[in-house]
Amino acid sequence: MNLILPKIDLPDLLQSWRKKFTVFLPQKLERFSHFMPLDDANAEILEQPHNTRIPPKALFLPMTEALVKFTRFGTYDDAELEVSPRIVFGMRPCDAQAVQLLDTVFEQEQYTDPFWVKRQEKTIRIGLGCHVPCANGFCTTVGYGPFSKDGLDILLTDLGDSFLVEVLSESGKTLFENLHEASEELKNQAKEIQHKAHDAMPIAFETENLKEKIEQNFKSDYWDEVSRSCLGCGVCTFLCPTCFCFDIVDEVQRQERVRNWDSCMFRIYSLEASGHNPRPSRIERTRQRLSHKYAYWLDQIGLIGCTGCGRCVSYCPVGLDIRAMLRQAQSLPFEVSHAE
Amino acid sequence: MPNNSRSPYTPMPMRVLRAYYESTDRSLKTLELSFESSEDRKAFFAKFNPGQFCLLSVAGKGESALGVASAAWEGDFVRFTAQRMGTVTNALHALKAGDPIGMRGPLGNGFPLDDWKSKNLVIIGGGCAFSTLYALTKHVHHPDNRDDFGKITLVYGTRTSGLCMYKHDIASWHEREDMEIHQAIDVPEENWLHHVGYVPDVVKEVAPSPENAVAVVCGPPIMTKFTLPALLELGFAPEAIFTSLEKRMKCGLGKCGRCNLGHKYICKDGPVFSLAELNALPADL
Repeated sequence: MNLILPKIDLPDLLQSWRKKFTVFLPQKLERFSHFMPLDDANAEILEQPHNTRIPPKALFLPMTEALVKFTRFGTYDDAELEVSPRIVFGMRPCDAQAVQLLDTVFEQEQYTDPFWVKRQEKTIRIGLGCHVPCANGFCTTVGYGPFSKDGLDILLTDLGDSFLVEVLSESGKTLFENLHEASEELKNQAKEIQHKAHDAMPIAFETENLKEKIEQNFKSDYWDEVSRSCLGCGVCTFLCPTCFCFDIVDEVQRQERVRNWDSCMFRIYSLEASGHNPRPSRIERTRQRLSHKYAYWLDQIGLIGCTGCGRCVSYCPVGLDIRAMLRQAQSLPFEVSHAE
Repeated sequence: MPNNSRSPYTPMPMRVLRAYYESTDRSLKTLELSFESSEDRKAFFAKFNPGQFCLLSVAGKGESALGVASAAWEGDFVRFTAQRMGTVTNALHALKAGDPIGMRGPLGNGFPLDDWKSKNLVIIGGGCAFSTLYALTKHVHHPDNRDDFGKITLVYGTRTSGLCMYKHDIASWHEREDMEIHQAIDVPEENWLHHVGYVPDVVKEVAPSPENAVAVVCGPPIMTKFTLPALLELGFAPEAIFTSLEKRMKCGLGKCGRCNLGHKYICKDGPVFSLAELNALPADL
């Protein structure tokens, strides 16, 4: 179903949703944009051709959250979590795709994460396709695209004065009840915009045999070369929409066991009680980051664990560029396996 | 209050039944825990298999992953032996009988006992990593299970005789006719009647037959590193050599990310792997 939403009607529509939902949308926060709840005053819709700094995964896996309440008498209870129905408006397709990838981690049959599931179930995701290519993104390179529909209930295409509203799920449908069906002309116009945007994204590196090259060169000097300028600050993983590692610590004053985002780029992440560290230097840690995204995810679910949002490129303080690292990886030697 | 619908991050309430030092230098302490809720107990033993581990929890201190050192038939309790290392294990050492404690588990796969039926077992342990092998040996010793397996050959090495765990039980195993036991210490001591030397060397000396046998190795990384090639040299196939791995863990559920070995998580897909499986994974240990 394709509907037309005039942009002039959007502020009122967003306000009307607030009766039943908490509406999150990107808003300006200092120099960056950030997903924040809409209130009466800030009905201004931020139109920008790029991503928020902190990915919307934070709405599903908060930077910090209590998992367990304990008492000093040694009793434990689940931490309470109330989630009101909510809408995330203006998610970029790369970020929506990333949340869908994370579903495979948190919604496994064996152990389901109740906190993740609760937030997922209460959330309607409205995506905004990227008609202007972003500088550091490479979504088409890793098999996704500026108008990917995965993980979205609604996909919006900017047509200038209006949005084309593509309804992708039943829960998304109820939000846009009074809109007119889009004319064939507008639908075609949207399609053209989508194709143009897709074609405008450059191919940043080749992904063919990349997994094999990374795996077979586990002990290569390549990892030393590409990690040499890394400071180990961890921003690439912290802002990555598909990174999900967390630490669990006890907050004694609050009597809560809390999980906090963690990063495989930190030394203590893998440091063991004996003093042994399987990843003692940034060489091994860089190898882990790249191998996880471009090899291990493929083994686990058959998809690259990177959606090409480009945040690790944009925010790296020393300008390390994963695209260049992977281009360089493509020149590594490898053998084709005939074991199939 | 029994609460079986708790989240996988919330520990179940347990109580310390017995707590005692395992080694003469007091670096190792054994805790035997009883269940506060009968539903938790039933759920635990319905899932439990030797080789699995649990996360022991001290409120305000955190959680530590420890291998289960008891067999199900021993009673309605679970045994762990903790080496005093950091914040949590120090807190565990301070516990005494009657104290409350939290526990999550059993976690991980455990030993593939069904695949080992009718085979001879070569059990090789070093130091405090022997705990899950102790659970395995106890499990196999039970009359109901004993006939499922062939001959047992046990090699257990520690740095000193004082660091040997479960001393009374192990002393009694020397009397058993259904198993061969080789104890070793690293440096000579007075009145020591068994082997002196490192575990890999003792394994070479004992030279267990690979015929219809599986070998299980649990020990410090340096011991494992030299024992695995020794077993290969004796003729054990990589598919018949098993080891239990350890890495830093937080959630124990395959979510927090830190114990990955290639695309596997040691907590969820392990901790028990065959050497054949390990050979297919990156050497990220």
